[in-house]
Amino acid sequence: MTATDHVQAPAPAPGAPSRRREKGQAARPAMYIAKKVLALVVTLFVASLAVFFSRFLVPGDPARFLLRGRSPKPEALEEITRQFGLDKPAWEQYLNWLGGILQGDWGRSLTYRQDVSDVLLGRLPTTLQLVALAAVFITVLGLFAGIVASLNKGFGDRFILITLTAAGAVPPFVAAIALVALFSVGLGWFPSFGSGDGGWDRIWHLTLPALALGITYIAMVARVTRSSMNEQLLREHVEVATSRGLTRGSVVARHVLRNAMGPILTVSGVLVAGLLVSSAIIERTFGLSGIGQLLVQSIDRLDFGVVQAIVMVVVAAFVLVNTVVDLVQPLIDPRIAAGTESR
Amino acid sequence: MSQLLQIENFTLGFPGRPPLLDSVSLHVNDGEAVALVGESGSGKSLTTRAALGLFPGGSESSGLVSVQGLDTLTASKQRLMELRRRHASMIFQDPRAGINPVRTVGDFLTETLLRFDGLSRSEATERAVKQLEQVGLRRAKELMDQHPHQLSGGMLQRVMIAAALLNSPDLLLCDEPTTALDVTTQAGIVNILREEQQARGMGMLFITHDLNLAASLCERVYVLRRGEVVEHGPTRTVFLTPEQDYTRQLVEATPVIESGAASASPAAPGPDSAVAPLLKVSGLSKTYQLPRGEIITALDAADFSLPEGGSLGIVGESGSGKSTLARLVVALETATSGELTLRDVPRPRRPLNASERKTLAKDVQIVFQDPYLSLDPRIPVGNAVADVFRLHQKQGRKEAKDSARNLLGRVGIGAERIDALPRALSGGQRQRVALAKALAARPRLLVLDEATSALDVSVQAQVLELVEELRDQLGLTILFVTHDLAVVSRLCSEVLVMHQGRIVEQGPTARILEDPGDDYTRNLIASRPRPLWDAEPVTA
Repeated sequence: MTATDHVQAPAPAPGAPSRRREKGQAARPAMYIAKKVLALVVTLFVASLAVFFSRFLVPGDPARFLLRGRSPKPEALEEITRQFGLDKPAWEQYLNWLGGILQGDWGRSLTYRQDVSDVLLGRLPTTLQLVALAAVFITVLGLFAGIVASLNKGFGDRFILITLTAAGAVPPFVAAIALVALFSVGLGWFPSFGSGDGGWDRIWHLTLPALALGITYIAMVARVTRSSMNEQLLREHVEVATSRGLTRGSVVARHVLRNAMGPILTVSGVLVAGLLVSSAIIERTFGLSGIGQLLVQSIDRLDFGVVQAIVMVVVAAFVLVNTVVDLVQPLIDPRIAAGTESR
Repeated sequence: MSQLLQIENFTLGFPGRPPLLDSVSLHVNDGEAVALVGESGSGKSLTTRAALGLFPGGSESSGLVSVQGLDTLTASKQRLMELRRRHASMIFQDPRAGINPVRTVGDFLTETLLRFDGLSRSEATERAVKQLEQVGLRRAKELMDQHPHQLSGGMLQRVMIAAALLNSPDLLLCDEPTTALDVTTQAGIVNILREEQQARGMGMLFITHDLNLAASLCERVYVLRRGEVVEHGPTRTVFLTPEQDYTRQLVEATPVIESGAASASPAAPGPDSAVAPLLKVSGLSKTYQLPRGEIITALDAADFSLPEGGSLGIVGESGSGKSTLARLVVALETATSGELTLRDVPRPRRPLNASERKTLAKDVQIVFQDPYLSLDPRIPVGNAVADVFRLHQKQGRKEAKDSARNLLGRVGIGAERIDALPRALSGGQRQRVALAKALAARPRLLVLDEATSALDVSVQAQVLELVEELRDQLGLTILFVTHDLAVVSRLCSEVLVMHQGRIVEQGPTARILEDPGDDYTRNLIASRPRPLWDAEPVTA
C-alpha cells in the first residue's frame, strides 16, 4: 500500500521501505528451516516416548515368551530378565534404549538372538525398494491420470473419475491377487513371488507388488491433481497467459500445473510415507521378506526390540518426508516463505 | 479501410438461453481510443475477449469479429496465437489475479519474448527492463527478480501494461484496468495509457463502468446494455447530450463533486450546536504487532466529534486507516489508546461482552461494502430483518415479520421478495436489505463502510438517494467511509481526509473541496479523471 506512492514519487523515498523488506526476507528462510528442523526433532522425541512406553501396555512378559511355554525355573527367568535389562525401572530402560539408538545400537532381538540392527538391515532394502517403486508409480500414473482428467472435460474426465473411484476402493490384497492372476498366471509377464537378485531383476520382481501397493494411492493423487488443476484453470492469470499467445502446453505446464503443485506434493508426501506401514500385506502376498512382514511377526512373538525399531524407522521416515515437503513448499510458492499467503 | 478492430452483428450465447451479446457492432480505427461503457453483466468483457478469440467454453457465436482482417471466430488456433503474440494485447482488471503469483515478474515479462521472438535470455531481460522503465517503474532490474506479492497493486498494473506493450501491439484492449486501484494510482495509470497510445499510434478499446474515466481517455464511446449497443458516438456528444434514456440515467447516476450541494442541505446542523456530540473521539489509536515484532500503526491519534444528526464522510485510499476507524466505532476492534465516547458513554478498552454489545448495537449499526458477503446466504431476507426486530425491539414473531415487511417496503424491496434468499436478489437489492437490517435496530448512528463501492453507478445512485432520504426522515447520524470524494460531497456536510493512519484534514465538505489545505487532499481531488474536452489534458 505504501508502495503505491513511490511509483510516482521522486528518487529517495522508495529505498527505505523496500530495503527493509529485503533484509527481512534474507533472514526468513534460515528461520523457517530452523523451525522445521526443530519441529522434526521434537516430533521424533515424543514419538520415541510413545513407542517405548506403549510396550508396557501390552500384556505378556517377553522373558516368559522366550522360554516358549516351558515351565521355567524362577532363577532361569530372572537370569533372562536381567540379561535383557528388563529388571531395571522403566525410565532407565528408556534412557539406555535411546542412548543405544543414538549410537546405532537398537538392542538385541529376543527371537533372532542377534542385533536388531542386523535383523533390520537384512530386510529394510527390500521394503525401501518396494516403496520407492510404488512411489514412482503413484506420482507418474497419478499425475498423468489427474492431468488428463482435468484437461479433458466431459467424457474423458468422467471416465477417469469413475475408474479412479473404483480403483481407490480396491483393497491392496485384492489388487495383488488380481494382478497376479492377470500378469503372472495369465500372461506370464511378471513373476508372482520373491524379490529377485538386484538390478533389473529386482525391479521386474517388484513391479506387481508395487502396483498392488500403490493402486489406492494412485487414485488419491490423481484426484488431488485433478481438483487442484481445475481450481487453477479458472484463475485469471491462466487467461492472461492464454491471451498473450502462449501455446496450450506452455500454459498448462508453466501456469496451471506449476501452481497446482503445492497440494499435490503435500498429499503425495503423506501417502508415500504411509506406504512403509501398509507394505506388510503386500510383502506377505508376494513372499517378500521386508520389514512389514517382520513387524507383524515380531508383534506376534512379543519381540519388543524389533517392533520398537521398526516403528521408530517408520515414524522417522514419515516425519522426514513431511519435513522435506514443508521445506520444498516455499520454493513452489514464494508467498509461503513470505508468510503472506493469499490469493 | 483502416479499421483495426471491426465487430459486426456479433451475437454470443449459450444454447437454449437468451444471448449474452446481441448483434453488437463496433469498430476501432488505427490510432483511435474508443471506450466501451456499461454496467456489470452488460457484456463488455465478452466483447473484448472475442477480439482475441477467447470465448467462454460451450458458447455459440455468430457474426464477424475481425482484427486487421483476421476473423477470430473462424481463424485457426495457430493464427489466433499469432494475433495474440504480435498484433493485439490485453490488460486485465486485477493485476494481482492476472499475474501468476508463483513466478517472478521477470519470468512473466520475458516468457513470450523467449518463446516466440527468439531472443536470448539477456536480450529479453534487457528489453523487459527498458519497457518497465518506460511505464514509470524505477529500479526495474531489481523488480525482475521479485514476485508479484512484493509489489503494490499500482506497480503490478504497470508491469501488466509493460507486458502488453512488449510486443508492440497495434491494438490494445483494456478491461477495467484501474478498477482495483486507488484514485491517485488510477490517475498515474491513465496517464501512461494515454501517453503510450498516442506515442505509438495504437488503437485502444477501453472497457469501463466509469463514465468520467471513459471521458478522460477516449474520443469515441459505445454504451452497452444487456448485450446490446444502445448508443455510440463521440464521447462529448454522448455524455453531454445523450439520446437514449439509459445513457441519460447513466450520466446522471455518475457521481460528480458538487460543492455546496451538501452544505445547503437543511438536515445538517452546523458545528456550533450546543448539544453534546453523539460521537466523540480523541487521541484514538490502533496498532497491530506483526509476528516479527514490527509494529503497524493503522490509526494514529484520531480526533473528531460528530453531532447528533450530522453526517461525516471519511475519505482515504486503501490502507489509510479509514476502515479501522469505522470498525473501532462499532466495536469490532478495540483501540490501543485514546478515548471514544458514544452518547456520553465511554467505550471500555477491551472487547465488549455480549450484553454490552447488544446495548451498543441499538445505537450503532454498520453496513459493509459487499452485500454478497454480508448477508447470510441461507436466511430469507424477510427473516433476516425480522430477527433484528425481535432481538432489539422485543417484538413477537408475527409482529416482527410485519415490521420487516414495512421496512423492506420502505427501502424499495416489495412484499413479494420477502421470502427470497439473498442470491435471488441483485447487488443493489441486497445492499438495500443490508441497509434495512441495520435500520431495524433503530440506531442513532449509521456507519457505512464503502457501502456503495461494490455497486454499479446506477445502483449506487439509488442507494445513495435512499440513504439521503432516510437521513432526512429519521434524523440519522451518518458516518460514511469511502474512497470516492464525489459520494462524500453529495451525502456529507463534514469531511475528514485520512492518509497513512492520520487525519490530515477535516472540516465542512464544501470548504475542503473548494480550498483544500493539505497537499494530499489536493492530490486526491486532482486525481479524479477529467473529460478530455474539459480544460487541459490531465498531467501528473
